[in-house]
Amino acid sequence: MFNGGTERQYQVFWPRSPRQMQLRSLAPRLKTLEGKTVAQLWDFLFRGDQVFALIEEGLKARFPGVRFVSWREFGNTHGADEREVVARLPQRFKELGVDAAISGMGC
Amino acid sequence: MLRASAACEAGGIPSSSLVCEGFIRQAATTSVGLGMPNLPVARVPGHVGVQSNEELGRNILEVTVERVIANLTCEPAQAGEPLEPRPREVVFKGDFDAVNRCFYENEWSDGLPIVPPTREKVEAFFAFTDRGPDEVLGVLLPDNRAATVWSIAVNGVMAGCRPEYMPILVALIEAMADPRYGVEHSGNTPGGETLIILNGPIVKQLGFNYTQGALRDGFLPNTSVGRFWRLYLRNVAGFLPHKNDKATFGNTWRVVLAENEEALAKISWEPNSVEMGFNAGDNTVTIARYTGSSALSSVSGSTPEQVLPILADGVLKQTLWTIVFTVGLTMGTLRPLLVLSPILAETIARRGWSKADVKRYLFEHCRIPAWEFERQLRDWSQKPIWNLAEEARLGHIPKVFHESDDPNRMVPIVFKPADFMIAVTGDVLRHNAHVFAHNGALGYPVGKRIRLPEGWERRLAELGK
Repeated sequence: MFNGGTERQYQVFWPRSPRQMQLRSLAPRLKTLEGKTVAQLWDFLFRGDQVFALIEEGLKARFPGVRFVSWREFGNTHGADEREVVARLPQRFKELGVDAAISGMGC
Repeated sequence: MLRASAACEAGGIPSSSLVCEGFIRQAATTSVGLGMPNLPVARVPGHVGVQSNEELGRNILEVTVERVIANLTCEPAQAGEPLEPRPREVVFKGDFDAVNRCFYENEWSDGLPIVPPTREKVEAFFAFTDRGPDEVLGVLLPDNRAATVWSIAVNGVMAGCRPEYMPILVALIEAMADPRYGVEHSGNTPGGETLIILNGPIVKQLGFNYTQGALRDGFLPNTSVGRFWRLYLRNVAGFLPHKNDKATFGNTWRVVLAENEEALAKISWEPNSVEMGFNAGDNTVTIARYTGSSALSSVSGSTPEQVLPILADGVLKQTLWTIVFTVGLTMGTLRPLLVLSPILAETIARRGWSKADVKRYLFEHCRIPAWEFERQLRDWSQKPIWNLAEEARLGHIPKVFHESDDPNRMVPIVFKPADFMIAVTGDVLRHNAHVFAHNGALGYPVGKRIRLPEGWERRLAELGK
């Protein structure tokens, strides 16, 4: 550890490695939710069934023409088959005419 | 949840993620790894798990809904790319204390002093692998970083590993990167910790402890390789407490559990490596994540019929809420682990019982009333969508979970006998056992063969081993 009365100097490497994901843009936002179709994505945790019902209530009060596709349509987004469920989303959205998505519950 | 949101955004669909108040910081760091640092989240005040229906309604309608609308209709601020060092960049020069201060302040260490990863130290690890430093073994979430062989050596040095442990470290990171393991879930709130099981001649070659105190620190290989695992989770996968690691309590890292293959051979039981699909005598690592564990002390009796009820009772009581990985959160991914001391395994085996017989016994006797299983699924976890009858009707779970409508019928805690795992190690002449509660798909058991470099024996001989 010591070298001639002077403590040894170390040149040390970065212990991390490069991120593999490039910065990506978000999707364009909607002008309004009126007349739009919103998908509910749920990880089957933390009262999401109640929370989505409340959000439906709140959004319909502001945008009477908004429609919802229930979380029941998509399956558990945090289960053992998460990768498959998430990979299927773009196709399911096309089939169901989805314009926006709400994803929960991060708790 | 955020991964689903990122997939929406990538597909041109605007999203809003619902995030409880205490998880906003985790969402921010996870979003960086997903390449979308400005992924919009809507705050849910407090935590939904402790709110009355009235409180929940007020919080969602008065706070969360407004944020959801804004997230879906207003352009979020542009995000910049965080600047980072280049791979293999020397990031600091200084004495031992200064290096450790730098690593601690940058959140690159676990709080204990690290061995400075200098060129000389790191390159010594490449004498014990045929893999190239830039080889990538996978990409690890949530930070989305490349699992390079170079970064394995750097973190191995830091953990205090010896260079000859490198083949084990490489196999471990291959296992960490295996999608079946689910490394991305390593920051979930139960705070489970990985257990590494080591098999094969390498246990003795490298001097791993596989007898008394098998889970105790104090043995360089067991301890330093266990520490390496946690450092790699921190530095490359990106699990830092108060950020991506949301363990409510957490555990410290576990030392490597090496099986006692001499004891197993004596009773003709296959080692864990064979359970994981390898040949007896292969050098292997098996990883799985456990939410907790408990010792079963003085499992007394001279016959299987006397000791197995005690073991089954211990496995059942340790399993607790993790049955949600059998039915509910995931289906059939619960793999409880029972560790037996050699003398206990011998007591069972000398009457002709195989490992498979023991697993069948556990399957038949680790059972709870159906009402109790459903109480966990529905009432205690607040997940009213699950019940055993419906899941059995849909074919999602084996029929054994719903052979009648009697709420007092006894149902198993796993799908099938082979879901139980058994290892043998610890004090050779003490009749104790240890049970680990498994974290299901959020740390599913994965095994990897340890690939030794050309001339392994010679290279070890040069070290005097």
